[in-house]
Amino acid sequence: MKRGLITWDKSEIPAEVFEQRIAGIRRIMAEKNIPAVVVYSELWRSNPARYFSNFMPYFNRALLIIPADRPVTLLCGLSPRVYGWIRSVTTIEDVRPAGNFAKPLLDMAAEAGWNSIGIVDCPQFPFDLNRAIQVGNLEIINLSAVGLCDDTELAMRRKGIAMAREFLDAELNAGVGQTDYKFVGRLERRFRTAGAEDLITLVTNGNGVPAPASGVRLEAHYSVSLALEYRGHWVRVTRPHDYACTPDWLVRDDTAAVVENLGGSYPYECVSRSSLRSGAIFAVHVSRPVGAKQIFYGDTCWYGGAGPQLL
Amino acid sequence: MMNTSRREQFLDLMDKSGWDVLLLYGHSWRKDFFRSLVNFNFFGPHAAAVLSRSGELSILVSHPWDQDVLARSVNARVQCAPEFESGLRGVVSEFKNAKIAIAGMEFMEARFVDSQAVSATGAIEALRRIKTVEEIEILRQAALLADIGYQHFIDTIQVGMAEFELVAEVEGFLKERGAEDNFMLIGSGGTEVFGMRPPTERRFQIGDNVTTELSPQVNGYYAQICRTLVLGEPNENQSKSFSIFREAQQAAEDFLKPGVNIRDVARVQNDVFRREGYGEFTGSKYTRVRGHNLGLYPDENPWVLEDVDCVVGEGMVLIAHPNTYLPLSGYMVFGDTLVVTDKGCVRLGQTEKKLFSKEA
Repeated sequence: MKRGLITWDKSEIPAEVFEQRIAGIRRIMAEKNIPAVVVYSELWRSNPARYFSNFMPYFNRALLIIPADRPVTLLCGLSPRVYGWIRSVTTIEDVRPAGNFAKPLLDMAAEAGWNSIGIVDCPQFPFDLNRAIQVGNLEIINLSAVGLCDDTELAMRRKGIAMAREFLDAELNAGVGQTDYKFVGRLERRFRTAGAEDLITLVTNGNGVPAPASGVRLEAHYSVSLALEYRGHWVRVTRPHDYACTPDWLVRDDTAAVVENLGGSYPYECVSRSSLRSGAIFAVHVSRPVGAKQIFYGDTCWYGGAGPQLL
Repeated sequence: MMNTSRREQFLDLMDKSGWDVLLLYGHSWRKDFFRSLVNFNFFGPHAAAVLSRSGELSILVSHPWDQDVLARSVNARVQCAPEFESGLRGVVSEFKNAKIAIAGMEFMEARFVDSQAVSATGAIEALRRIKTVEEIEILRQAALLADIGYQHFIDTIQVGMAEFELVAEVEGFLKERGAEDNFMLIGSGGTEVFGMRPPTERRFQIGDNVTTELSPQVNGYYAQICRTLVLGEPNENQSKSFSIFREAQQAAEDFLKPGVNIRDVARVQNDVFRREGYGEFTGSKYTRVRGHNLGLYPDENPWVLEDVDCVVGEGMVLIAHPNTYLPLSGYMVFGDTLVVTDKGCVRLGQTEKKLFSKEA
């Protein structure tokens, strides 16, 4: 869970970047005649709202409302006592409490005279919210979260993956002979002290796929797979101990490879390689036999103009 | 990995409710309904356990690594469907004309929900509220881990350290000792502090109230401890403030037993504040809840509030924490994990019940 530093470093992401992102979606809204766009956010699905406002909930859920002609509003399930903190780490000024999200949204629409709203990934909205919003008289226009990416997004993902690669490469030798719990604890300290909000670590000695730590002692050629969140930007990296790997493995057409989309609502979601489009941020993980065991290798990639490449 | 006691309870519920299929859904934030039957910490983002009335179990996950581990570990058909919507549809379609009940339906993606399905969330929650003997033992281990985690918190904190540096250290400590996860909030400062949140870059100062709740997760189950520490010698207001919190929590602990209502567990805490003239600070402007149930989710129902109607039963595990803001000294927290016995309750942790302080 997010227990690391949730912050807004304006040297990393200047306010103008968020302004441009809001302007971008407002251009789409103008083209499609949509008066407001609603973005869902929760502990685990925070990418789109974070993209527009730097908001990342540490618990509960929220709706980010982006009207065409007025400031952004956050309908927030968190207590008003933390709204000062939210304002300090996001671009949002108007934060309103909302236990029942549908009612304040529908009230806002009525007050503003909206006949329709755009909802990012509407079919993926939680069932209770989706149903409650449909009760209103608003026309719901579904918008996709695909394509929420600009140079700053790529730069932040690059920063995250550089951290993941550097720290993991530095720590791999220390894992041998330790229990996986101890190794996971070591990684947690290192990454969270460096500002990571969240870290998920899977390990294996090669008898199976990477899985949560279970108290086993790590052996030579163990593999570790990380999902790291840095400043709200998720990356994935998988490395084996003491085994030479090449990024070339990740861009080959390997039908056994695990491919994950990192650019959607979720931090990662398995997809087929053929579904990736230009601009996609994704991860690929492959395995290779070493004697009777397997090693695992993976990294975060980007589908640039020249095709899939390591990010 | 399979919770066989729960499985029997769920089959019994299905029989009584006329459900042909019980689907227990989980996603990466809310894994608890899935894990109430199949206790596996899936990578995700989705997982569903589908139990038929005849007792057959199918599991659907969205990541092949989850499928690989589960297939080796449970006696069930385990499938992987990255396109989870179509995978779920495929599994459900095998049950023709079946009455389907879904636990976790409310937070499932709308596109996953079969239009004819009914919600099993409340009924499953009610069963999960009463912990099995095995679950209570796991929670005891989690509570003891919370104890040593808090001791490490005390040992580590120092003036000048940043909040996030302290949290990073505590997180590493707990994970080293087998915690799967840890829900942790922190706050530091004085009367300008109204609550806890994730750590910031703020550096601890002499005289700070440092509040935290640690909720280590052991084998899926969360226990929780809430404590306040003063950096330096507590002043008169901090000591006075804490004495109110201490008395309020003790009032809940003395009151809690099978048959009482959770709203009164809240009331006896709030009455202490009211008696001291701080009734205003027992409302939602200053506090969220006076406690909550614990288990596979760190913030289970029932919440301990005066408008919640829920009769306490033996085997419930909850925390009573009168965490709130008082103008005397700012936000304070205090609470322990309690298991309801046949006659009262027992604290699962062992951390001293006091206002902690550390020489700055």
